[in-house]
Amino acid sequence: MMLLIKLFQFMLMFHAFYSTNSNPSKPNVILMLMDDMGWGDLGVLGNPAKETPNLDRMASEGALMTDFYAPNPLCSPSRASLLTGRLPIRNGFYTTNDHARCSYTPQYIVGGIPDSEIVLPELLNKAGYRSKIIGKWHLGHQTQYHPLKHGFDEYFGAPNCHVGPYDNKKQPNIPVYRDADMIGRYYEEFKIDKSGESNLTQMFIEEAIAFIEKQHQTGEQFFLYWTPDASHSPHYASKSFLGTSQRELYGDAVMELDYGVGQILGKLKELQIENNTFVFFSSDNGAALSGGAYVGSNGPFLCGKHTTFEGGMREPSIAWWPGRIKPGKIVHELGSLMDLFATAVDIAGMKLPADRVYDGSSLLPVLVDDKMNKNKTIFYYRGNELMAARRGMYKAHFWTWSEGIPTLHLEYCPGMQVEDVTTRNLTNHMAQPVLFHLGRDPGEKFKLKLNTAEYKKGLQFIMEAVIEHKKTMIPGQPQLNMCDKGIMNWAPSGCETLNKCLHGPPSNPFKCSWPV
Amino acid sequence: MFFWRIQLFAVFVQYFIDKCKTAEPNIVILFADDVGYGDLGCYGHPTTSTPHLDKLAANGLLLTQFYAGSPVCSPSRASLLTGRLPPRTGVYPGVFQANDSGGLPLNETTIAELLKTVNYQTGMIGKWHLGVGENQKYLPTNFGFDYYFGIPYTHAQCPCVTCFWPRDSCYGSCKPYFPGCPLFYNDEIVDQPVDLLTLNEQYANAARDFIAKNAQEKKPFFLYYAFQHCHHPQFAGKKFRNSTSRGVFGDSLAEIDWSVGQVIKELKQQDIDKNTLVFFSSDNGPSIQWKTRGGVAGLLKCGKGTTYEGGQRVPGIAYWPGMIKPGRSMELASTLDLLPTIAKMVNGILPNVTLDGVDMGPILFTQDKGLRDTFFYYYPQSRQDKGVYAVRYHQYKAHYYTRGASESGVENKDKDCRPSAELTWHNPPLLFDLNQDPSELYNLNSLPEYNVLLNEIHQIYERHVTSMKWAESEINKYKDPKLEPCCKPGCKPFPSCCQCHKLGHSQSLTFK
Repeated sequence: MMLLIKLFQFMLMFHAFYSTNSNPSKPNVILMLMDDMGWGDLGVLGNPAKETPNLDRMASEGALMTDFYAPNPLCSPSRASLLTGRLPIRNGFYTTNDHARCSYTPQYIVGGIPDSEIVLPELLNKAGYRSKIIGKWHLGHQTQYHPLKHGFDEYFGAPNCHVGPYDNKKQPNIPVYRDADMIGRYYEEFKIDKSGESNLTQMFIEEAIAFIEKQHQTGEQFFLYWTPDASHSPHYASKSFLGTSQRELYGDAVMELDYGVGQILGKLKELQIENNTFVFFSSDNGAALSGGAYVGSNGPFLCGKHTTFEGGMREPSIAWWPGRIKPGKIVHELGSLMDLFATAVDIAGMKLPADRVYDGSSLLPVLVDDKMNKNKTIFYYRGNELMAARRGMYKAHFWTWSEGIPTLHLEYCPGMQVEDVTTRNLTNHMAQPVLFHLGRDPGEKFKLKLNTAEYKKGLQFIMEAVIEHKKTMIPGQPQLNMCDKGIMNWAPSGCETLNKCLHGPPSNPFKCSWPV
Repeated sequence: MFFWRIQLFAVFVQYFIDKCKTAEPNIVILFADDVGYGDLGCYGHPTTSTPHLDKLAANGLLLTQFYAGSPVCSPSRASLLTGRLPPRTGVYPGVFQANDSGGLPLNETTIAELLKTVNYQTGMIGKWHLGVGENQKYLPTNFGFDYYFGIPYTHAQCPCVTCFWPRDSCYGSCKPYFPGCPLFYNDEIVDQPVDLLTLNEQYANAARDFIAKNAQEKKPFFLYYAFQHCHHPQFAGKKFRNSTSRGVFGDSLAEIDWSVGQVIKELKQQDIDKNTLVFFSSDNGPSIQWKTRGGVAGLLKCGKGTTYEGGQRVPGIAYWPGMIKPGRSMELASTLDLLPTIAKMVNGILPNVTLDGVDMGPILFTQDKGLRDTFFYYYPQSRQDKGVYAVRYHQYKAHYYTRGASESGVENKDKDCRPSAELTWHNPPLLFDLNQDPSELYNLNSLPEYNVLLNEIHQIYERHVTSMKWAESEINKYKDPKLEPCCKPGCKPFPSCCQCHKLGHSQSLTFK
């Protein structure tokens, strides 16, 4: 009898092995990452504007994840974490120049993604995927950090934010790459008009559609990292979208991005590969509230980008996989962009490398099998400091900070003053962490009273995870400490052919200043 | 044989007449209490559980610019039922108490009265809050409702004791000096003090009975179903106690959500869902003073009691399969518009008074532009000399006066909302672009490009203020403990002697 069972098991294994081989196409993975789009910008998440019919439909066909986080309240570290599955403090996307400061990769940054980090496409390529990044890379612009050196097969986009225009003397305009070489610069070959008109989002959409079609024809499974940045200031939209929203340029940008999501999902359906494609939509950090009225919305949450309040890191997030994820599902499991790394690896049928710590886990159990993991913890970092942690419904703030640059009048929490919480200066609460119950109070407005039974129990629950986290934490080499104006995008590879090389100052490294 | 054939023919003809004639549509208004713009799942609350309301929104029209007639309870309800702003109905300042002698003036015409003229069956279930008065002359049965089942005011005006299953007490204070909550069946008190743990279920059962009876008798009906939830003190029975991660407010809201599910289920069971307009809304914004036990206004500024957006912009969901196309609408509309909309739908006659509402038909049925381009915000304590606090004109809102409110909380994260924010006159008025800035953070009044607009708004303001006829205040009329509803009039010791249980607690009242 035992033998029979063994034989049956063997047959099953053989069958499984055989069927994978006979069907080489593993599920495709598309990660759509928006830039500075807030939790409250989607209709399905309560925005009063009517700008996101495609995303609202995506949510009704897929799973809306209400408690999903960026790993950092700023773009570069958040993106590095998504692509490495590890917190910025581990993958090096932080600074030690000052305590608890956010840092990123402007074009004078020396550092970038270290070779020692395993970037998602490097793993997926081993499983036979072809990978493409469309849009903003932001993991370092120097040659050694180029996406094609870190696993991507194809690249259309830029290494930095589309800020500008620059004079090409004090600062060069940001280059746009196709694969290894630059093919132009923002504000030059790739126009962004002062009025906010630009065709960039349309280009990013067309690139995505073309890549999907090409991969469909070759039959090779693919990983597409689609990360257009129109919702990051300076906002832009193409002519046909200008003035179409009721939130000016920001709303126009959202509408065009939403249109892009619709186009991509529509293409998957048209090619009938939607049942074999996992799509995830999210954003890199909370809406930047410091830009006055012309910005995104974090809905009911406190503060925005740069901060470790919910508004800084809770993201609008939708998982979509017809046939696998039940339509209209609402998922309350805690999640993070870092889970997408583990999820993609899971989808590719691989295991996470065992030689390092990963900060995420696969979402397939909750998305596909309804198995909710209630034991997850979200760690909120600014730079080298663990500012807050959430476990279950409880969130503890160990440090609070909400100050912008006073001289610039940047306001990260406009119209919001919660006593002892939205502190202007960096404030230490380690002795008595500020505790919130995010179920009853997602807006972080009403602190739990100290020394109550609930406070003690909640704090203890969080501290178990925090103590464990700190005990095993080995910070990576900080990558965002040094800056150098000599290494800006003066002469990116390919500039010679285009005759677009510029001459910058000689190299002169200095310690970056991170005022916020 | 011949006779039999004629009879068969007649049955056949009757069948076709029944089938072909467009039956008068039924109307169900579901009205929540103190539920804010950000409280439902479909309006972006991350932890509430409102699957039935979310489904109603997904299959109906979700309105994102929908306003209650007032930022507090009684005047808001008067506005809904009459289509008229609070100063006109006299339902100001504030709200009715159990001992008030005033009420909604009897000469006001309600939606129910309007529908009676076209032969509707009319029922009201739940919280009335438009007065009881001498000889109970202000109860719903005096305003066109054939049937009433409910507590005529908020359960916060009763000495509430047990709010949660199995025997857990209520949070915070209620009014111990009033009689126990009276549950009326028409104009008779059938239960006092009412059992809050089963009340919501009793309401839902009564609603289903009312729907079923009229459906079976093929009579068009109007049901105005106003929940006690989610007003402080929240309560929840066995099924919903500790049922959500949002705590007591979430549990209370879950009871509403379940009830909405019950209503829709009954409409479907009776096969009249395609002939029924269901409209869900709330009387005003969240009572933020109760902190985690109050609601939230989402991204809007302040809450209940104020004329900021959080005080009056509320959820609005219209559902009518086949007639209302599912989607979202940014068109400006208000509870004030329900009466004219319904009048139009049933070919009814509008009351011969000044109405502040307009027909919402274009928004609901043809996805057209709405007919409303202004909205006037009255503070609960508005007086004739300082009446309109703010004016909305298209996407812009001008605040002539601002003032915080105790209902919006002494610790509100926004100091403008706190009761410490005193009455302030603004000249020129503060100006906000609500499409761009729904949180009312960025005042535009100093920018020269808005001068023309400000002038235009000011003319609208002046015209409104000078033409407004203030009725005598009903709420300032005398109060008398003798008017407090007691099922044993004259009993002693009052009010604790007011105890009657004509229903029995577990039993629900079936509609007769």
